[in-house]
Amino acid sequence: MAKVASEPKAKGYGTQLSRRDFLRVGGTAAALGTAGFLVADRFIGDAKAEAPTPGKVRYGMVIDLERCFGCRTCMEACKVENNTTRAVFWMYVFRFEEGRYPDMQVRYLPRPCMHCDNAPCVKVCPVGARYKREDGLTATDWDRCIGCRYCQVSCPYSVNYFNWKDPKKNQYLDWKTPEAVEVRQATKGVIPPYKNPDLEERYGKEKRYIAGSGHVKGVMEKCTFCVHRVEKGLMPACVSSCPVGALIFGNLNDPETEASRLLRQKRFFRLEEGLGTEPRVYYVGSPPPGASVRQIEGIVGRV
Amino acid sequence: MEAGRAGRAISRRSFVKAAAAATALGAASPWWLNGAMGPLLGESSAEAAAEPLPEEWRPTTCWIGKQDCGVLARIVEGRVVKLEGEPAHPRNRGTLCVKGQAQIISLYDPYRLKAPLVRVNEKGVPGQFKEVSWDEALTLVGDEIKRVRAKDKRLLVWQKGRSKSEPLYDNAFGNASGAFKLGHGGYCSDAGYRAGEYTIGLNGVLHPDFRHTRFLLSWGWNAANAGGNKLCWITYPRQFLEARSQGMKVVALDPWRGGLGPHADEWLPNRPGSDLAFFLALAHVLIQEHFVDQVYLKNHTNAPFLVQPDGYFLRAEGKEQVWDTATDSAKAFDAKDVTPALEGEYAVGTTKVKPAFQVYMDHLARYTPEWAADATGLPAPSIRRLARELGRNALIGYNTVVNGVELPHRPVSIMAYHVAQQELGFQAVRAAIQVFMLLGAIEAVGGPRIDFTYKLHGNYKAFGDFKITDPPDNIALRGSKYFPINSSLPGMVAKVMLNPAKYGVDYMPEVLIIHMSNPMSSYADTPTIAAAYKKYKFIAVIDAWLSETASLFADVVLPAATMEKYEGPMAASDQYDDAQAMRVPLTAPMFQSKGEIDIYMDLCEKADILYGKNGYIDEINKQLGLKDAYKLPLDKKPQVRDIFDRWAKSQGIEEGVTYFEKHGVRTKGFVSARDFYGYAKTPPFEGIRHRFYGESLLRVQEEMKKKGAEKVYWQDYTPLPTWRTPTMDKSPSQYDLYLISRKKIEFKQSRASFIPLLAELAPEQRLDMNSEAARARGIKDEDEVWVESHHALTGETRKLKVKVRLIEGIRPDTVSMPHHYGLWVHPWAKGQGPTPNSLFFAGEGYITNTQDQSFQVKVRVYKAKEA
Amino acid sequence: MDIGTANRIPYGVGKWGAGWQVLVLILLAIIALGLYAYGQQLEIGEAATGMRDIGTGGGAAWGLYIAFLVYFVGVSFAGIAIASMIRLLDLEHLKPVARMAEVLTIVALILGALSILVDVGQPLRALLYLPRYARPQSPFFGTFSLVVSGYLFASLIYLYLDGRKDAALCAQVPGRLQWFHRLWAAGYRDTPEEKERHRHTSWWLALAIMPLLVLAHSTLGFVFGIQPGRPGWFSALQAPAFVVLAGVSGIGLLIVIAAALRQVLGLKDQIGMPVFHWLGSLLGVMTLIYLYFMAVERLTVDYSGAGLEKSVSEVMYTGTYAWLFWGTVGLFVLAVLVLAVQFARRRWSLPLIVLSGVLVNLAAIGKRDVIVVPSQTHGTVLPYAPGVYIPTWVELAIIAGLFALGTLVYVRFIKVFPIMEVSYTTKGGAE
Repeated sequence: MAKVASEPKAKGYGTQLSRRDFLRVGGTAAALGTAGFLVADRFIGDAKAEAPTPGKVRYGMVIDLERCFGCRTCMEACKVENNTTRAVFWMYVFRFEEGRYPDMQVRYLPRPCMHCDNAPCVKVCPVGARYKREDGLTATDWDRCIGCRYCQVSCPYSVNYFNWKDPKKNQYLDWKTPEAVEVRQATKGVIPPYKNPDLEERYGKEKRYIAGSGHVKGVMEKCTFCVHRVEKGLMPACVSSCPVGALIFGNLNDPETEASRLLRQKRFFRLEEGLGTEPRVYYVGSPPPGASVRQIEGIVGRV
Repeated sequence: MEAGRAGRAISRRSFVKAAAAATALGAASPWWLNGAMGPLLGESSAEAAAEPLPEEWRPTTCWIGKQDCGVLARIVEGRVVKLEGEPAHPRNRGTLCVKGQAQIISLYDPYRLKAPLVRVNEKGVPGQFKEVSWDEALTLVGDEIKRVRAKDKRLLVWQKGRSKSEPLYDNAFGNASGAFKLGHGGYCSDAGYRAGEYTIGLNGVLHPDFRHTRFLLSWGWNAANAGGNKLCWITYPRQFLEARSQGMKVVALDPWRGGLGPHADEWLPNRPGSDLAFFLALAHVLIQEHFVDQVYLKNHTNAPFLVQPDGYFLRAEGKEQVWDTATDSAKAFDAKDVTPALEGEYAVGTTKVKPAFQVYMDHLARYTPEWAADATGLPAPSIRRLARELGRNALIGYNTVVNGVELPHRPVSIMAYHVAQQELGFQAVRAAIQVFMLLGAIEAVGGPRIDFTYKLHGNYKAFGDFKITDPPDNIALRGSKYFPINSSLPGMVAKVMLNPAKYGVDYMPEVLIIHMSNPMSSYADTPTIAAAYKKYKFIAVIDAWLSETASLFADVVLPAATMEKYEGPMAASDQYDDAQAMRVPLTAPMFQSKGEIDIYMDLCEKADILYGKNGYIDEINKQLGLKDAYKLPLDKKPQVRDIFDRWAKSQGIEEGVTYFEKHGVRTKGFVSARDFYGYAKTPPFEGIRHRFYGESLLRVQEEMKKKGAEKVYWQDYTPLPTWRTPTMDKSPSQYDLYLISRKKIEFKQSRASFIPLLAELAPEQRLDMNSEAARARGIKDEDEVWVESHHALTGETRKLKVKVRLIEGIRPDTVSMPHHYGLWVHPWAKGQGPTPNSLFFAGEGYITNTQDQSFQVKVRVYKAKEA
Repeated sequence: MDIGTANRIPYGVGKWGAGWQVLVLILLAIIALGLYAYGQQLEIGEAATGMRDIGTGGGAAWGLYIAFLVYFVGVSFAGIAIASMIRLLDLEHLKPVARMAEVLTIVALILGALSILVDVGQPLRALLYLPRYARPQSPFFGTFSLVVSGYLFASLIYLYLDGRKDAALCAQVPGRLQWFHRLWAAGYRDTPEEKERHRHTSWWLALAIMPLLVLAHSTLGFVFGIQPGRPGWFSALQAPAFVVLAGVSGIGLLIVIAAALRQVLGLKDQIGMPVFHWLGSLLGVMTLIYLYFMAVERLTVDYSGAGLEKSVSEVMYTGTYAWLFWGTVGLFVLAVLVLAVQFARRRWSLPLIVLSGVLVNLAAIGKRDVIVVPSQTHGTVLPYAPGVYIPTWVELAIIAGLFALGTLVYVRFIKVFPIMEVSYTTKGGAE
């Protein structure tokens, strides 16, 4: 048995000793994360985006409900542009009924990601994979996300979509079947055949992996406002495809953009403003959907 | 446009990941990591830029829809990765619809037809086929064509679905082969077209002059969901919204609220099949309240013509007479400075005569709003108020100037496409036209338009005196005593084939060529059609997918390309701006598929009808109206590209087809008021008299009687639209609901329910039912029910099982199903539920006049478990 | 000092009877099943679970894994709490169960950590990034780092110090385990100075642990409590309620374990009924407090009848989750009654106390599900179609595997170290 040197009692004596004991216990417990704090860089994607300052680009979307026909083209344009897999609707269009026959109304409400300035998802992300870009976009780093799905449960608008499966195995058609041999030849085996190469690029000055969908199993995804198009100076896919121009995207800090003009000229609302999420998606042309709305022709995606 | 870059990067990254995996966890298999650890190995930091991939944006024309929108396709390494709208195209102005976006996946659909197929099992059951060479397949079909043509050209029938361009290869084949042509028109709005041609002389169905319309009566789901006359979807909502922003008021007339969404100021849920009664009541009020454009009626219609007691016009030296109020005498309608009377009763010699308009007024006397309330299920006051609003907004007497031409200004209009799809369709459309004739709005600024540009249609004259051939000389009963005006409804043709003796038809067609059409699901009365198709000795199908029809009945199937081919020419006008477009291939045809023109040329070659005078090539020359310098030589098979190159040059485009390959669409600027409005012609309407009073309808009716046709055939040939209760209402009372079909924006105008991206949006058939009506029947949302239809004349019943969706936006006495679904060949089509088309009946009782399909039938709905 | 009777380690340390071996085999089998299920989940992805996207996915993004994460961390309450109370309040008579409790804490925390790992879509990333990119702004920072790391760390130290004396004693006994006991004892001699030093340290540690305890379980409450976007979650009561429910389940489980070991290891003399009386009463009181919290929470929500909160309540009261909700409430109430009756009649029966311990734990599990799931499936702020969540066999197997693993670890510990202070072998305890 190891000898314990008999030492004079003194204040703090015990602590001294116990400290030595700690060391003896060894790293087991320490390994469980405490050490992690030392290297933790906890300033990525700070929850509250700095107040919009004029001149600086702050993107946002205005949705004109007076124009929307609920045709769901935006949903398809998004799916093709971003190669989203089955049951994923980064853009979703509600079809509502309000009132009773014959005094009733049918209404439509497109729902992209709100790209909130005070985004619950950004706040709760434990690793800073979900973050606010300077230009107002709320982005997700596919390389960073650990798939805890906290952003999904924290989002009041339910705009997050998780890769429950390997995206390659969640395609609309099985591009690996024998039936698809000729297709694979024609498209060099790319899956899906209409795969958009831009989605593999890195974007923003922080150069992070944030564009498009269908990248990694077990990772959360959501609408990116087509960051890969926006950085090219193109409108998001949903906006450029909308047959009736109901979606308007632009720099809300620039008074000259169509979006800003609409917000000056028309009364607008944002979804669930009461929650203080400060969405960057504004609706004009109609009052907010009342509590009595019933969804019709709703979609339940099957993974 | 700027090129993206990735290909190399992707492959490199995945390599790094694999390496990472290996080093990180020794033998850990890749799915353990699926690239997760990349960043830890410093790999997430900015990608080293790989050089750009070969990328280009190429223009072409959308394939999936009806109106051929302009498309810009992004192509990377030869892959089509995105379709967007062509900004220069008047119809879609840089946008694309839901189907247009989704079709990209069907271009690469592994379940498309890949090679020519020949049947190896018996017909009538899901088909088994063996792949054969093009040559073998074409020879089989070609020989059949030769065989029957030698006997009797009528034995060859050619059936086509929705056209994807202006008629070219189809007409050319019809003419070269002499095949009997069946269109889809009988199921569309042909009755409307015929009513337009008969009454106004133009080929088309009422649609608004949106730029100037301020009050719109919107019939059905058109403006919001279907588009209509000659256009598909995008263009109408765009013009509709422009008009809305100018303050256009919209009243929706539709038993089912859905389509018009939030865009209607008022909703009048009328009873299905009652539109004729409704229009008659509108006219009644308009006259009562003196909203009548006398100038128009007197000068441009036959309303002032004097009608004898027998219903025929009073004529002298073959000229129709009017009553000249100046001289108080009958004069020829076109006599110098005659001031015709519209009202009153006069005596010419011993015969009492009335102006047609007076006859009309007497005719309308009984059609009061109160009367119509019963028939239409709409409150009389609403009908009255609506009529007044129409009248007031019509601004009768006002003129305005468009492109320097002064024209009558009548900013009231109607969107009435598909009103024709009911038993009394022809007369209902006539009644609608008459309402706007009263207001002088037809072809006026802001009024209802019929064609895009003012072109008199041959039928205007032809319908002046019908020729009846008896016994009929064709299976569609064209020009017969049964259906003098005729749309060749495939359902009716099927009935004739099943009982030729009944109609005195003395032959049975043997060979059928079906082109991009799927009668087993797309057309009403599918059971009858299926029975009739068993009688064909040989059926060849040209399609991009194995259609249900092909699976059941095709002997030979020829794979057609979808959008990857040359096709055209395309009209690209949005009615205000004119343009021309072409479909040009973005890639080589997938699999072994070929463009139609290639297929038809090869087929005609096999059938010895390709070369020489009146051969297929010659017909192409005619169809394209090629100037002599550009005509195709009749002795050698041309390249398709060369055909369109000649056409383009013949049109005066020096670059030839290259122009369209570069620009996709060729805009021609706005349509001048002089070509646009009938009023702007000199003389107005090119001097014709609009048929307010349909004298020739009366004549043909008596002709039909003389030839021994029964009442069911002639009863609706009346000079003035006359209401009768639709036959379907004779079904017993337990069939207490009207079933109407409609379109879904996700699938409309195309067989698209199996396109995966679209199928996900509307995965399954649903029967829309009023929640109150359902509660009364103990039916809950998503319950499975039987829908059982009843034939009011034969008593036949048919039923299908479907799930219910309870909504508020539908009449309690009406249920509605979109007429999509019901497919089962494509893996994505399985389990989508039935199409309502099998519940509808074609033929007597459900079609009349023009032989157009009614998509209305009485049904009963009960819970599935009760059955 | 010496280990006394027959110079061997008491409480069956190092002795594997047939019963024990069978138990171990069964546990290993269940663990194997769990591992297989987890393999499936890694292979297929979490599509193998019953979880789906909230909203258009018509599902719940969090399911059993999170519910049990909360449950396990809750259970860990018992050990550390008892241990520190013994120190701070000098509850000498509880000392016999102190170590059982401490081990329970450690095992539960390990299971908590594991249930996080099985829940996340990228387990390896989680291990590396949670520390590397840790963000204190996220309540998960608390759950992952504070609870699972700090809390576990503290508990280990506590166990270490508390066990040092016995380690020293056991180390005198030659055998396969001697090296282990030597390492633990680390030269401890049980001199008065050492005794004093340990008492001293443990006291301060106990004091330090109390706030940590509250903090840890509150953080878990915050994970749900501070989400305004989830009707049914957003409530200031979540944090305190979590602390209390943690106590309820923890003490409940401790009672069960103590009773079991008392039976199996024949510790009737060492663990007297008073221990159970005391624990039983504590359990009763805390359960009552929790029921009170529930009542307050429900009343707040239902009185206002605020739209979405209401819809979530309805689905709990009368809808899909009624059986779960009322079942939970029923179990709590039953447990309280069982305890209250005994308390009132001053007559305690061990089986009944154990029963209530089991009841509250079942209830606790149920309550965690009621907290986690309905707010996702029926608490969407936008009018999506209501969702469904039905756990798959994969989830159930993995949870079962975790329980088995925990039990195995616990059993293993019993076999390598006295689960109760050696001094109690002699009647009347140490000294």
